[in-house]
Amino acid sequence: MSRSAVYLVLSLTAAAGAAGALETASRAVAQIPLALAGPRVVPRPAPAWGNKSWLNTDKPLTLEALKGRVVLLNFWVFTCINCTNTVPSLVDFDRKYRDQGLTIIGMHTPEFPPYAGEHDKSNVQRALERHHIEYPVAQDNDTRTWDLYRIRFWPSFVLIDKKGQIRYEGAGEFHVGDATYQGWDGKLRELLEEQ
Amino acid sequence: MWLGLLAACARPQPEPTAERPLVLRVAPAGDSVRLVLLAAPGWKINARLKPVLEAADGRRLRLDALRLTADSAYFTEPPSVTVPARPGGIRGTLRASVCSAGETVCRLMTLDVRGET
Repeated sequence: MSRSAVYLVLSLTAAAGAAGALETASRAVAQIPLALAGPRVVPRPAPAWGNKSWLNTDKPLTLEALKGRVVLLNFWVFTCINCTNTVPSLVDFDRKYRDQGLTIIGMHTPEFPPYAGEHDKSNVQRALERHHIEYPVAQDNDTRTWDLYRIRFWPSFVLIDKKGQIRYEGAGEFHVGDATYQGWDGKLRELLEEQ
Repeated sequence: MWLGLLAACARPQPEPTAERPLVLRVAPAGDSVRLVLLAAPGWKINARLKPVLEAADGRRLRLDALRLTADSAYFTEPPSVTVPARPGGIRGTLRASVCSAGETVCRLMTLDVRGET
């Protein structure tokens, strides 16, 4: 056997937490596409976030202060192309509906530890400029808000009504004009029209 | 090291599957070893957030490859890293951001790596 042909297989075992993640991932493969196809109804009170570091806003935004507005939370990270591919749709929603009562908040949640650069505020700022994001973005470096909202994928979306109730959730990339975009657009208009 | 290699060669070599989408292999490369991350068919590895093996000895080994998709988002060949072979092998945690066929999301996978090099 030539030396170059020798392959040693590392014993690769999932860590306690990761084992679940792997199994979840493989189990979810067949189920996710439909679940991610568009917003779905999950009525429950939105938990209050407490993120301290924000961009594109003078002061931190709170759920309480946003009562009376429709809020679309977008959990994203600039290293995820599914997230950045969806940004044009969010920019479009912001342009169309901000004046009608919509607040989009980008919850920037890193995938990797700080050494990867996702936690760096200047890197996030550069991503906002690159993708023409003008809506507020919070850094969720400790993943506290991600955990609070039980998010599992990048990108994910949570739509909160004027009374602070979660009305729709979903995940997955979409593009301006496609069916998923139209689905979210319809839900946004529905909630914006509510008193 | 060579005894370990020969012993390992006698063991079956797992392929990545839907149940275990990522497999890390190591191949000899002179006095070093090459760690190669394989993905199951339909699974893509994020190239914008390159996989990292956080070794227990403090090293951070970043896996990379030259060939990417046109949008530079994913690897089109298995990412790898070459490191000096050390007695006692390698232990640590591998992190990779992946996407599976039919999905349009990124998901994080972490794997505990224990192996003889």
